[in-house]
Amino acid sequence: MIDKSKGLSKAKEVYANRSHRVKELKAEGKKIIGYPCMYVPLEIITALDLISYRTCGDMAEPVTEADRALPTAFCPIMRSCLDCALKAKDDFLDGIVTTHSCDPQEKTARVWESYINYSYFHFIDMPGTLRPEALEYYRGQINDFKKSLESFAGKELSSEKVKAAIRLHNRQRALVRELYELTKPEPPLISGTEILQVVKALMSLPVAEGNELLDQVISEVKGRTDGPQKKPARLLVWSSTLDDIDIMQIFEAGANVVMDESCGGIRAYRADVKLTDDPLDGLTHYYATEITCARTFREAAFGEARKDYMADLESRFGHLKHIAKEWNADGAIFLLVRYCDPFAFEMPSLKDYFDSFGIPSTYIEYDYTQGSLAPLRTRVEAFLETIS
Amino acid sequence: MADEAKKKVINRLKSMYPLRAKVDETYLKSVEAMRAGKPTVWAMLNFYYGDPIIKAMDLEVVYPENYGAAMAAMGVAQSYLDRADAEGFPTHLCGYSRANLGYTSRMMKELTGKIPPEAPLGGMPKPIFLMASTAVCDARYKWFQALGRYMDVPVWTFEAPIPGVKELFMEGSYERMVDLGVKHAREFVVFVERVLGKKMDWDRLSETVDLMIEINELWHETNELRKAKPCPMHGRDFWSSMSPALFLMGDLKDSLQCFRNMYDEVKYRVDNHIGAIAQEKYRLLFAELPPWHSLGFFNRLAERGWNFVVESFGYHPPIPLDLNGFSDPLERLTRFSLQVYVGYYRDALEQNVPAGSFAYPYLKYAREWKCDGAFLHPLISCRSASTHLPYVSNVLMERLKVPSLTIEGDIVDLRLFDPEDAISKAEPFEETMEHYRRIRRQEGLDW
Ligand code: SF4
Ligand code: SF4
Repeated sequence: MIDKSKGLSKAKEVYANRSHRVKELKAEGKKIIGYPCMYVPLEIITALDLISYRTCGDMAEPVTEADRALPTAFCPIMRSCLDCALKAKDDFLDGIVTTHSCDPQEKTARVWESYINYSYFHFIDMPGTLRPEALEYYRGQINDFKKSLESFAGKELSSEKVKAAIRLHNRQRALVRELYELTKPEPPLISGTEILQVVKALMSLPVAEGNELLDQVISEVKGRTDGPQKKPARLLVWSSTLDDIDIMQIFEAGANVVMDESCGGIRAYRADVKLTDDPLDGLTHYYATEITCARTFREAAFGEARKDYMADLESRFGHLKHIAKEWNADGAIFLLVRYCDPFAFEMPSLKDYFDSFGIPSTYIEYDYTQGSLAPLRTRVEAFLETIS
Repeated sequence: MADEAKKKVINRLKSMYPLRAKVDETYLKSVEAMRAGKPTVWAMLNFYYGDPIIKAMDLEVVYPENYGAAMAAMGVAQSYLDRADAEGFPTHLCGYSRANLGYTSRMMKELTGKIPPEAPLGGMPKPIFLMASTAVCDARYKWFQALGRYMDVPVWTFEAPIPGVKELFMEGSYERMVDLGVKHAREFVVFVERVLGKKMDWDRLSETVDLMIEINELWHETNELRKAKPCPMHGRDFWSSMSPALFLMGDLKDSLQCFRNMYDEVKYRVDNHIGAIAQEKYRLLFAELPPWHSLGFFNRLAERGWNFVVESFGYHPPIPLDLNGFSDPLERLTRFSLQVYVGYYRDALEQNVPAGSFAYPYLKYAREWKCDGAFLHPLISCRSASTHLPYVSNVLMERLKVPSLTIEGDIVDLRLFDPEDAISKAEPFEETMEHYRRIRRQEGLDW
């Protein structure tokens, strides 16, 4: 007998009321640190016994307040995030950590810091490339973040504490990967919508509680008989952020989403942080290189004197070929958030890459509003018809 | 006749003309050299980091962002935009990037690498490498990466770090930026040497860096003189003169002399109370690039007594720094380039403005250049030019009671800027400026 207060139902509940748990913890005296982007090294927050909480936008909420400070032709996800913050929806946060993962993140951070008076605010600069000198600089940025958060928390972090936090987060990464193993069967044992709810719940809970939730979900899913129906196609979705089940359900109306390579899916969990002697080395390497967001300038070889297009594509998207094959995807949808430049520039090349190994793909754009869902549905249906 | 009269509304600097001519002449020379097969680099405006190195290596350089403006102005951009759309680039991308992607696709796919015959101003030949930059916007490196679809040309992405304001003042933070810059520039030199198969002349690089710094210091001093009342130099002269300092166009010794002459002329005007317009009633800050194709609207505003006294910080020279103690030219170059952004940070920290380069420079300008209003010109398809403007408008009002007039424009669709609209809004905006003048005085501000 499955305990419905645990596992998938619990994830669904946390998804629907994300801030409930952190508010409880706050009432118990814990400090909550927000972060709008997965490039923020959460291990440092956890190691200091603070609670990390991902600040998200809200597709159902029309943007009004953010208009004060950001133009309309601007990443709608960041506009929505800022809008929620300006409307005091995140007023339980004690602080926030932002980063230069992309230009809109950087620009929004400036406005955020200006308009909302958190007790703690820190900005982590990020280089664009993976050159050795850039990684060295980034390590300094992570160390500065650690120092500033130590001074906020009023205690110093030992290496051992950071390593323990890395282990805890790595455990979460391993569990999420295990969860995605459960989409490999045909039909998958868990739907894309359910996974999205779980992942968003993880971003709303202390990491240890998230791990517990994952354990419950995995054992429930493994034993379930009420899993998703087989649909005519198995889909890989690639996006910057996909954090709303209304969107996922559009895909799942006609297909099984077996992989979601986005910030609301597997992206933050695909690899582990290496346990290096100095744990900051492992964190630097992981956050700079292992997260496969389009914001990073990757190339086949440093300072190559001649560009080989296919080698270049391999260096940028190689992991997607592996995913498409392992999960036996029939097609891929590149879900593009309007005005998201880092991802938008990839579109034709990514399509070239998928063509090279014979998986049909398309890109579909939306603007993170409820109003964009109907045209999104039409485009998805049209694509699914061509591949089913 | 009427046009003649209008032209004189702005008292243009005589020393500006040689600088402007130099830009045209350099462009033509460079086209000739490129056509003759001299290696060419396509570069993003990189705020100095890479330009002196390219120059010291004697490479020709074109800036596709600027060339995008030329394509738009000459009416040939549309076919390239259509081509980029057809190839699957989303239409909300930067207009210049789309035009350039379309251009490159045509050159490489249809013309086996030859310059398209319809390309204006002699066109851009296939480059030997691409120099991207992480400064300012994501498009400026993702775009060059996307060109790999058409050309087997390597890309160097120049790092341009941008920390937070208070974060910059954490122990060792600035020096780590310098360290990144110097190592990165050294690696860039190695890369250029490898691509070109020739060695860097370090004395030449050192001289190039020093000239660049000297030119920009003079240019900075000249702009400081514009704080005088009446302002001796109008924004139009600024826009006509900035390229040799910002892009290092042409012979640098020559440029240095031109900027010296300009400084002298502006100083003479200050000493003799000569304004750039006949009767300065309002002093304006102009933010983002101007509508190049309808600059005449400045004259019509000048007739109403509007003087444009300062412009966006990204086009202004960095605040000077004493760099004499640094023998390595790459270190002088790095420290100078970093100054574009972080040069304002100390002040921004003291004033408690976390948006150190995003907004703070505008506050400083409005206060020190004693502006009555800001003319904001967001460029719809250039995100980075538009992002900060609503916020700038807010902080100018909140902190200094300086109002803004926002008139939209675009970098590719030139019809979007409507000069008549700007003119029709001028009169009511004058009332607003008068109103806030009174408020500022009540609040103890001194202008
Ligand atoms: S990566 Fe794209 S979607 Fe994500 S914050 Fe940046 S611009 Fe927005
Ligand atoms: S968006 Fe603006 S700054 Fe960025 S590449 Fe385009 S024109 Fe240049």
